[in-house]
Amino acid sequence: MMIRKLENLIIKVGDVDRRVIFVLIGLAVLIPLLTPVSLPIRETPTTVKFYEGIEEIPKGSKVLVSFDYGPSTRPEIHPMNVAVLRHMLRNEHKVYISCLWPDGIYMALDALEDISDEFSLKEYEDYVLLGYRPGAEAVIKGLASDLRKVYTVDANGKFIDDIEMMDNVKNLNDFAYIYSGSAGYPGTFEWVKYGGDPTGVRMSSGTTSVQVNEVIPYVRSGQLIGLLAGMPGAAEYEKLVESPGIAIKGMAAQSFAHIVIVVFIIFGNIAFFLKQKKERKYSK
Amino acid sequence: MILKRYIPIAIVAIFGSLTLSAWFIDNETIETFANDDATQFFDIIAAFAVFLGALNLLKLQFIKFIKKQKGWQYSAISIISFFFAFTIGFFIRGAYFVEDKVFFTEEAALESLITVDISKGQQEPSYKVQENSFKDISDAKNFAIKQNLITPVDWGAHVQKNGSLFQWMFKYIFSPLSATMFALLAFFVASASFRAFRARNFEASLLLLAGIIIMIGRVPAGGLISSWMVMYLIVLVSGLYIHYLKKKNNVTIIFTLAGFILVTIAGMITGWPLDKPSIFYLPLLQEWIYLVPNAAGSTAILMGIGLGIVVTSLRYIFGLEKSYLGE
Repeated sequence: MMIRKLENLIIKVGDVDRRVIFVLIGLAVLIPLLTPVSLPIRETPTTVKFYEGIEEIPKGSKVLVSFDYGPSTRPEIHPMNVAVLRHMLRNEHKVYISCLWPDGIYMALDALEDISDEFSLKEYEDYVLLGYRPGAEAVIKGLASDLRKVYTVDANGKFIDDIEMMDNVKNLNDFAYIYSGSAGYPGTFEWVKYGGDPTGVRMSSGTTSVQVNEVIPYVRSGQLIGLLAGMPGAAEYEKLVESPGIAIKGMAAQSFAHIVIVVFIIFGNIAFFLKQKKERKYSK
Repeated sequence: MILKRYIPIAIVAIFGSLTLSAWFIDNETIETFANDDATQFFDIIAAFAVFLGALNLLKLQFIKFIKKQKGWQYSAISIISFFFAFTIGFFIRGAYFVEDKVFFTEEAALESLITVDISKGQQEPSYKVQENSFKDISDAKNFAIKQNLITPVDWGAHVQKNGSLFQWMFKYIFSPLSATMFALLAFFVASASFRAFRARNFEASLLLLAGIIIMIGRVPAGGLISSWMVMYLIVLVSGLYIHYLKKKNNVTIIFTLAGFILVTIAGMITGWPLDKPSIFYLPLLQEWIYLVPNAAGSTAILMGIGLGIVVTSLRYIFGLEKSYLGE
């Protein structure tokens, strides 16, 4: 009797209005954001490999950082890009920033603003903001061949030839490392195919969680030196570079949201099977 | 016929063959064409495609708005937003620098330079720019302009410059809207997973299980779940499954109890390490799923895509694929 009542209750709750689910998910995200909960971050091998890949670059090298994402995927990619810039500048690398997405330029400006005071950043001494160019993979192919044919001026409209930092930069071969913070097309795939592979320049990427399963073969084959996988990857990297940021703060919210979704999945399945069982019983 | 069919096919065939041959023939001219010229052609065409896309968007939205089709109000908002962004992007510089400070308009920049001086005994105020005093405000403004105290941002750079009006629009209008749209996905994923993610058959169950392991294993909360807890859970679920198969309470109880005892003894012997045995530790398990079965499947898909691209490219070069002609 008791079990039957419980079964009926589960079936009833299984038909719950979706607005209830929305509220519960909203709370699962909101509460940990408002009352921060500290959770231990455990570095995954792909993140450690990524970190070591950057550590292996000789100090003071030229590195290309590409901002290939927009505001929609900012919470996932932006923290890792900020941490990557921080790591590179800490190792005294010269950073060259390109963007394959039109919104990427604003993401780059924000990231530079975030770390500007920390490193007393000076444009044309520490970094060059090359800016956005349309053409996706054609831009990368152009950079691999002759950077000056793709970028005649930088984001400020200053001629590339007038920038001292650009003096010995002809194409991608002149960089020691390529990094792409990518949220889709054009991004990681295109950088591997037209940038990293043809030139042999070591490269890696940070991607959204949904892209990881597609990108992982490149990590296994060594075409990418490690990978930052979504917001958890960003949090792990923030921990490795010892600069806790928004990704670590967001981990509690993401953890709770994932748990709530998993609970929903399990509960939805239990309700589904109980309903099926009940229907079979009545149809006999 | 020749103009609309054969010439485009010939262009595609010639340029396709040239760019393809650059990978196989060691010739500087062909390599330069493929690596530099062809990519620049592409850039130029891509830039023009933006205009084409914008015109197409406007055409569709205007039709919807004029014919008062369902949701025409949204079309009105789209059209207004388009012209708003267009005006800011093409006709307004939106960034005037006075030393490090940036202003959206020249007027605002001028006003920041001018200080009003109302001294005692003075009937009318005077306007000061640096150390120079003017009776008329327009003279003060003209002086500031002549002295180049205001630096307007260059055209072109104005959409990328930090502090510009275009950047303001992006930061405070486009970004929140875009982020909100994407954030809504979490709610729909939760709702859809509750309603549609069902273990209907073996394949679906496998997908479900892998999904759960990855969702929990990826986040820090997953790291707190001991592998022993997962083992107890497996024993429990297996017990339920055996009960479902055999329908005998005795068998279920014996199996479950035996499982629990075995797991407990193993735990006591090894000292209950959080991440051992690693096959039951969710963060390591999810990493294995990513790096082994997923990588194998994804590699196969990538190879399939690659072969598909080769075949499609050859069809274009040989003139067999004519969908781009509208055929």
